[in-house]
Amino acid sequence: MKPSLIKEVLRNLFSKPATIQYPREQTIIEPDFRGRHYADLMKCIGCSLCSIECPANAIKMVKIPEEYPAPKKNPRKIYPVIDYFKCVYCYRCVAVCPTRAYIVTNNYRLASFKRSTSEKLSLETLKKAG
Amino acid sequence: MATAPSLPSRLDFLKDYVLKTYSMKPNRIIIEVDSKYVHKVFELFKERLGFPNFYISTIAGTDFPKENTIRVDYYVVVLPEEQTIVIRTYLPRDEPKIASIIDIVPGALAGECETYDLLGVYFEGNRFLKRAFFVPTDVVEKGIFPLRKDSKV
Amino acid sequence: MTVTKIVEIPLVLEIPIGPQHPALHEPLLLKVYADGEEVVRVDINTGYNHRGVEKLCEKNTFYRDIFIAGRVCGICNTVHANCFVRALERILDLEPSPRAKYLRVLAMELERIHSHMLINAVMAEILGFDTLFMLIMRDREMVMKAKEILTGNRVLADYMIVSGVRRDIDETKRDRLLSILDKVEKRIKYYRKLFEEDATINLRLRDVGVIKDVDASRYALVGPPARGSGIKIDARASDKYDAYDEIPFNVIVRKEGDSWARMMVRWDEALESVSMSRYVLEHLPRDSNAVPDERRLPRRFPPGETFTRAEAPRGELTYYVLSDGKPKPYRVKIRTPSFNNIINGGFAYIGYTIADLPAILVSYDPCISCMERAIVIDLRNNKKMYVSLKDLVVGGRK
Repeated sequence: MKPSLIKEVLRNLFSKPATIQYPREQTIIEPDFRGRHYADLMKCIGCSLCSIECPANAIKMVKIPEEYPAPKKNPRKIYPVIDYFKCVYCYRCVAVCPTRAYIVTNNYRLASFKRSTSEKLSLETLKKAG
Repeated sequence: MATAPSLPSRLDFLKDYVLKTYSMKPNRIIIEVDSKYVHKVFELFKERLGFPNFYISTIAGTDFPKENTIRVDYYVVVLPEEQTIVIRTYLPRDEPKIASIIDIVPGALAGECETYDLLGVYFEGNRFLKRAFFVPTDVVEKGIFPLRKDSKV
Repeated sequence: MTVTKIVEIPLVLEIPIGPQHPALHEPLLLKVYADGEEVVRVDINTGYNHRGVEKLCEKNTFYRDIFIAGRVCGICNTVHANCFVRALERILDLEPSPRAKYLRVLAMELERIHSHMLINAVMAEILGFDTLFMLIMRDREMVMKAKEILTGNRVLADYMIVSGVRRDIDETKRDRLLSILDKVEKRIKYYRKLFEEDATINLRLRDVGVIKDVDASRYALVGPPARGSGIKIDARASDKYDAYDEIPFNVIVRKEGDSWARMMVRWDEALESVSMSRYVLEHLPRDSNAVPDERRLPRRFPPGETFTRAEAPRGELTYYVLSDGKPKPYRVKIRTPSFNNIINGGFAYIGYTIADLPAILVSYDPCISCMERAIVIDLRNNKKMYVSLKDLVVGGRK
């Protein structure tokens, strides 16, 4: 056995493993990682630009439900709903938005059994205000 | 388009076959050649430059239904200065046929097979041409060449 | 005694390698015709992963195409996006700011480092050296982190936009990137030494899949397979796009032409990329804004055509874009390096054993998703088939 091998063995015996126990331990990611994002309806003007520019066709413009107060600057009363299963997280929508209405997070844990969209998150921004 | 650039002196041997030259950004020289002479032009390339002084980067076909032509561009990179030369030729859209150059430059095989599969340009003398290795076979069964402008895929 | 049985042994045995994971975990079918252990002919069948990206690009607007181009290939996505974005800049006659040019180079060089580490790791795995695979992949994670710091995602960077990049870096990020580069450089040097000296690796790779320089240019091989055979093709050095005209670097060329030379070219290039990345971080121009406002970019594209080349980790990548003045491109032609290397490269397997075949395939650094944005099929072999009768005969009676 080569002496360098013994050194390597000893070093690896006491070093931390390179992997982590994922669901119990969180992966360390950057604060500006491109994760889940949704529209802030207090800022959104319903211009549909994000929906047009989306390379994955993941954004649909949907009517704001009656029970929510639609802001005045959104005359058509529509807002973008992102289908997170279709979204490729390129953040083109964030960049082209004329009012910078998108709220960005670094949440990368997006796996789910049910179809997940930004509908609830976006509507909550209205509720808080109203 | 800028003014017609002159042919680099190393490529003087092509001048009998050139219909016209013009340039494409950035810094590529396009040489238009009659489709009859493409084979001859590459023979000259091999004779005068020889390997390993040039290689075929790619073959790009473009469909122009309005003019009823299919344009085939051969992108040749001349080493060692790595200058890109475009050999451009036009084929009739109804019967796009051109002599294959794989007997001279086997590296053209990938490009020829692709152009045949996507645009239906038939390269005579290339025995490896084959439909149906294409996208799904149902597209092939309909006899569609997907990159032609009138095809709906 | 009369003959009652004749056993016929086929002269050439057909062995399918693939389409499930011939070497990398990607679909490609190599139909190998073997005479005993010796490979006499290889047919390369593709078409398992066709996505029709070129047609898709014609159906989408120019700006959406930037992100589609980035998704042609996962490993080399910034290079794809960069090549397409530069094509658009030529059509629009725009020039990115110097800072943006430097940052683009940084993103592309980080990508080259992790791509080269990946393929060397896979090569180790193919050779049965799984520990080395794990170790390289562990250290590759550092480069992925660096990419995450720079672009906001580990793999799909979406970093390029017309006339600039989409994110800038500050001083803290710069220092973190520099410290990562220091760590990575040490490891790459170690692995390079390992590939140079290790007995197993040398036995498996030396003199395997030798490509002569004449053949390399005849079959239009690009990138490390060409440079490993002594042909100097490097779009970074010849086209001098982005900031490559200001950043000093060497083009690595080796003469041997075997699988080992191709892998060594990759290690040397990775080291070269580390020093280029460091140069970029230390000499980043401060005077200009790298991130354009995406809301104010030109929406109309004038008619025009352009042909751009970029040096992807796997070789020369070309984009041809034709605009006819409409919001969508008229034609986008993508030619990826693997397209040439894999489909035309079938000749290199001939004469080697079946066990060598995966090693040769990996040394080309195949990227199937790159290759198959447009299909191709083909039966290779323009060379004469040299089927030797060896010692197979009709059996049954002497």
